[in-house]
Amino acid sequence: MSQAHWSRYTQQAGLIACVVVLAAVFAARDGTFLSSSNLIELLRSATLYFIVACASTLVLVGGGLDFSIGSVYALGAVVTGLLMTHGVPWPLALLAGVVVGGGVGLANAAISIYLRVPPLIATLGTFFVAGGVAVVITGGTDVYGFPSAFISIGAGELGGIPYLIFYAAIIGVIFHVVLERTVFGYNTRATGGNRGAAAANGIRVARLDMALYITSGAVAALAGILGAARLSTASSAAGGASLTFQVVTAVIIGGTSLFGGTGTIAGSALGAILFAEINNGLQVINVNPLYQNIFIGVILVAAVAIDQYRRKRRYRT
Amino acid sequence: MTGTGPRAADLELRGITKRFGHLTALSGVDLAAYAGQVLAVLGDNGAGKTTLIKIISGVYQQDDGEIRVAGHHVAFRSPADSRRAGVATVFQDLALVEVLDVATNMFLGQFPRRGWFVDRKAMDTQSRAFLDELKVTVASVKTDIGMLSGGQRQIVAIARAMRTGAGIVLLDEPTAALGVRETAHATNLIRELRDRGATVICVSHDMNFVFDIADRVQVMRLGRVAGVRDVKATTRDEVIGLITGSVSGQPMGELP
Repeated sequence: MSQAHWSRYTQQAGLIACVVVLAAVFAARDGTFLSSSNLIELLRSATLYFIVACASTLVLVGGGLDFSIGSVYALGAVVTGLLMTHGVPWPLALLAGVVVGGGVGLANAAISIYLRVPPLIATLGTFFVAGGVAVVITGGTDVYGFPSAFISIGAGELGGIPYLIFYAAIIGVIFHVVLERTVFGYNTRATGGNRGAAAANGIRVARLDMALYITSGAVAALAGILGAARLSTASSAAGGASLTFQVVTAVIIGGTSLFGGTGTIAGSALGAILFAEINNGLQVINVNPLYQNIFIGVILVAAVAIDQYRRKRRYRT
Repeated sequence: MTGTGPRAADLELRGITKRFGHLTALSGVDLAAYAGQVLAVLGDNGAGKTTLIKIISGVYQQDDGEIRVAGHHVAFRSPADSRRAGVATVFQDLALVEVLDVATNMFLGQFPRRGWFVDRKAMDTQSRAFLDELKVTVASVKTDIGMLSGGQRQIVAIARAMRTGAGIVLLDEPTAALGVRETAHATNLIRELRDRGATVICVSHDMNFVFDIADRVQVMRLGRVAGVRDVKATTRDEVIGLITGSVSGQPMGELP
């Protein structure tokens, strides 16, 4: 394998080192950090972020950006929750929530393509609209009283391992294969790398954008619905700006470029795990978890600075 | 070698007019290009060369006039339409994706597939074989385009146009960014393309290059055709005169 190929993974090596060193530090302070129950809890807490991050990775690789995910996460959950409390069977309610999420994605794509509003602004706009709709339709109160079959899809376990971890693994593998092996994935990379070149070579970039944003919205809604199932409650206050920022940050820490064209699902998984590890580890060693934002901020800036440096060295302009 | 191989295809433009607001970039432009020949399009800045290329490649749509490929009327609403009609364009900006490797760029928009998947192996081996056949030296087809020099990129872009097996190949300033050795290589590739029977249209400023490679020259001036000449039957002075407007050209009759 050529050097060019492996260099894609050097940033991830740095990230793995970061995860391992932190684990060693936390474990040295408190051995329970490495207990299997804590590690499972750590992974579980990363799953919903990671599921959203999978779709966000594709959007970023394709040269876009989706800030609406935090609100779509809440909107999908409350739509599904309200439908269930009004007697709609849960599989149908779940599907409806996902479709609403996909609909917000479609709106994002349409606004950025046809109204020529940059994705950052288009999805920031729908972030507020979707979040507002979620508050209005619930009156700002939590929705609960779900069928137990629904609750078990989010809260269930298999051999002591939460279903959520299995979902995240399956979704991660699917997105990895889509991005690395399929025509859609190659077209996404090409479009994010050089939109004009992709279009000039016959790639239908507008249609690709549609697919990416619809996927992003649908997956964010699905994650929100799974989160609601786990907590037996759908809240319009779930997700929000903090989910948006954590997901985008995890994706970028994982080596996906904000400028499109490069990125991996494995990197995003590591980014999400690093997030969860810092949060979990600080709790285990009894440090105020509010410190985590300080760590994350430093790591984010360092990751992007390193990425820029590598690009500059690697490519001729 | 992949694709269907160059077909004998003629390209004909009749009365092409293109306006941008109040500016008329092209007015009533005719053009005829023949298989197995190189037609050079010359002209000063603002003469309408690039607009003409963009209309043939489907990036712009003409306001008036028609395009015929092998005698059939065609309408290009997008670059994809133009490609489907057998036109390959090497744009001045090359339309390469820097963060992707040579093989992927060679097959951009036309990846060999197995169902939903890209047949990576086929793509790599076919790219390698094709570049070897053209004597293009690239260490690995897995090298990212961003790591190549400007000349190497130009060669890859031309090779890609040849790979598609398009019958009509447009090149916008193919030697503008090249050194002497790279220009010679590009010239050889274009000659090879012509010898395979392709219809080649080259926009260029480089008079040496044009007289070296073209069979005919079409000079554009202020959005109109200033003259069409057989290279063997003209001189640089006459061509330069047509470009600057000091010689008023009578378009020659159709050449086979």
